[in-house]
Amino acid sequence: MSGYNKVTPEIIDQLKAVIAPNRVLTGEDINDDFTHDEMSIYGKSTPEVVIDATTTEEVAAAMKIAYDNNIPVTPRGAGTGLVGACVPLAGGMVINTTKMNHILGYDLDNFVVHVECGVLLNDLAEDCVSRGLMYPPDPGEKFATLGGNVSTNAGGMRACKYGATREFVRAMKVVLPTGEIVNFGSTVSKSSSGYSLLNLMIGAEGTLGIITEITLKVIPAPREVISLVIPFESLEDCVSTVPKFKINKLDPQALEFMEKAIVQKSERYIGKSVYPQVLDGVEANAYLLVTFDGNNMEQLENIIEEASEIALDNGAIDVLVADTPAKIKDAWAARSSFLEAIKAETNWKDGLELLDESDVVVPLNKIAEYVEFVYKVGKELGLTVESFGHAGDGNLHIYSIGNDKVSVEEFKASAKKFFDTIYPKATELGGLVSGEHAIGSGKLDYLAESVGETQMEIMRGIKKVFDPKMILNPGKVCYKL
Amino acid sequence: MEILVLIKQVPDDSVDIKLDPATGAPKLDGVTPVTNAFDTYALEMAARYKEANGGTVTVATIGDDAAVSSIKECLAVGADKGFLIKDDSFADSDPTAKAYILSKAVAKLEEINGAKFDIVFCGREATDVANGAVAVKLAADLCVGVMTDVIAVDPADGGVDVQQQTDTGYNVIGLATPCVVAVQKPDYDPRYPTIKNKMKARKAQVPVITAADLGTEADKVGAAGSLTKVLGLHEPPKREAGIKIVPTKEEPIAAVVTRAVGMMAEAKVL
Repeated sequence: MSGYNKVTPEIIDQLKAVIAPNRVLTGEDINDDFTHDEMSIYGKSTPEVVIDATTTEEVAAAMKIAYDNNIPVTPRGAGTGLVGACVPLAGGMVINTTKMNHILGYDLDNFVVHVECGVLLNDLAEDCVSRGLMYPPDPGEKFATLGGNVSTNAGGMRACKYGATREFVRAMKVVLPTGEIVNFGSTVSKSSSGYSLLNLMIGAEGTLGIITEITLKVIPAPREVISLVIPFESLEDCVSTVPKFKINKLDPQALEFMEKAIVQKSERYIGKSVYPQVLDGVEANAYLLVTFDGNNMEQLENIIEEASEIALDNGAIDVLVADTPAKIKDAWAARSSFLEAIKAETNWKDGLELLDESDVVVPLNKIAEYVEFVYKVGKELGLTVESFGHAGDGNLHIYSIGNDKVSVEEFKASAKKFFDTIYPKATELGGLVSGEHAIGSGKLDYLAESVGETQMEIMRGIKKVFDPKMILNPGKVCYKL
Repeated sequence: MEILVLIKQVPDDSVDIKLDPATGAPKLDGVTPVTNAFDTYALEMAARYKEANGGTVTVATIGDDAAVSSIKECLAVGADKGFLIKDDSFADSDPTAKAYILSKAVAKLEEINGAKFDIVFCGREATDVANGAVAVKLAADLCVGVMTDVIAVDPADGGVDVQQQTDTGYNVIGLATPCVVAVQKPDYDPRYPTIKNKMKARKAQVPVITAADLGTEADKVGAAGSLTKVLGLHEPPKREAGIKIVPTKEEPIAAVVTRAVGMMAEAKVL
């Protein structure tokens, strides 16, 4: 396998000379968590050594030892990814960054916050709220690290209005595969200063360097927020309402579509029922969940009135208003628990969860056509398919569940047929392989098929410049083992 | 059936509120005012009662102009009428003084409505000060029956049957009407307003009732009419950090478990 060396006792001694020995873990001291992420179907792999790093200098020292000894290194945050990006496919060293979890300080003259890479999204979001600020990116997984969010260019619900993580990264400290420490970007708000190495690092999934500190843009928190729960009888009417909000210059903070089955599954999971199943004798089969924000309640109420008229004209059964913090929280609780709810009702076989997913992104006006296609293919293959997504930016989460499959192999085979059919369709409609979950090892072949060999070769060339020995997170994004 | 629901506007209880060390008062800047959660359950229970049995739901609160937003919220989710009870003389009223003001308000609202109230619904307590005393004192002032921790109200001969939550289940108790019920969280959540009801409520006018309208006596409201006085507010002591017990080569799993059990026994949690 690519001529990497094994981690020898001598190398462990070298590591223990620069990092506290109790934070250099080997053998049985390595927790099983380090062998996989949240999508176990892409396989498990055990590292030979795990470093619990606490500073950039420690990351650099460990990386230098790995570089000198040709040891593969996989950086890892909270391990909440869905594409196998933090799984140490080639063994070697895992650098665990979760102990680098300090919010280093705010610069409110420039509206930025400086954090270590292991700070959890939830912790930063709450800290911002307590200061009247908002860090807009809000991926569904709130207990991911910010380093992981940046490395996958994570999106989330509010990407609809504010954009994905990339829009909020101003600067970062990075340990290169050689062990050198570099700073990319600056707190300034614009740049035309050569190639943007900062942007190259965002979404690189830890294949070009290890991000250890990040400077993120924050904004003053909007004073007022209102969410709308909009039930529809038909999925088609539901999804086709989405572009109409934007055409009418309404600017929702978040705009999600969801189907009856997944909503009911999630409400069973959280034990709370918010979404009406029948209204005025009409059965609701799909829902939009929309949030608007602003600084003036009267203005905001005018906006929700207009948005409601658009929805009702487009076939909504009614519009329910979540206008208090408790109601907004409850309306979003079901949406935020979709993945956990799916997982709670998914069977395991041989230590693997019979679950696979895709997070393709398609043009807004193609969502309805694509979703219909996906369900048709799932039905033909006898797979249970669940879908929901960030309708406001065309990013769809599609899950295939193999509860009725007798073996992992049978599930993998039908899931492969499913994805082999739906990825090319997304490309055909002008879409991309991943909107926010990234490529990891799970989507590498689909990326290659979607963008073609020339682009894959350019990506590998870029990787080679950063990582001449190809030791950093091998087997991911563009470089297959 | 004429129903009155008494509500209170409180700071959002999902926010961790700190005291201002300079003034000793809660720091409420940026904290959204909301309708007390128990009062929203009371209103939902009242609205369901009305929908099943007919009648009218009136909502009232003692508060300042900001409380109008809470009244309007109620008008969007089942209340038919809303009133703000507002007067500078009502500031610093304790539960005794508030119950007195509300007893006067009940009479005034009955005069306005042209009908006596059959049931007065309140939340079991407000989430800000959590006295839980107003409903009982109001019932005493009105000389009517009262039941606390109510999770259901159903019509019965000569009054209502209420379910009162207990530690092990619930009691079913008959109450003659008129009566006061203090509502605990039932097994359902308050409804969401429809856009149509929300917009209708937004345009509604909320009449204001003053001390002069009620004919309250000056020495029975505010600090003068209160039997209790808040001397100061204190934050609860910070919880101490937990102890992490990890097995090591020197102290294997069996030994650390024994030590952990010993510590728990010493702390009297076992």
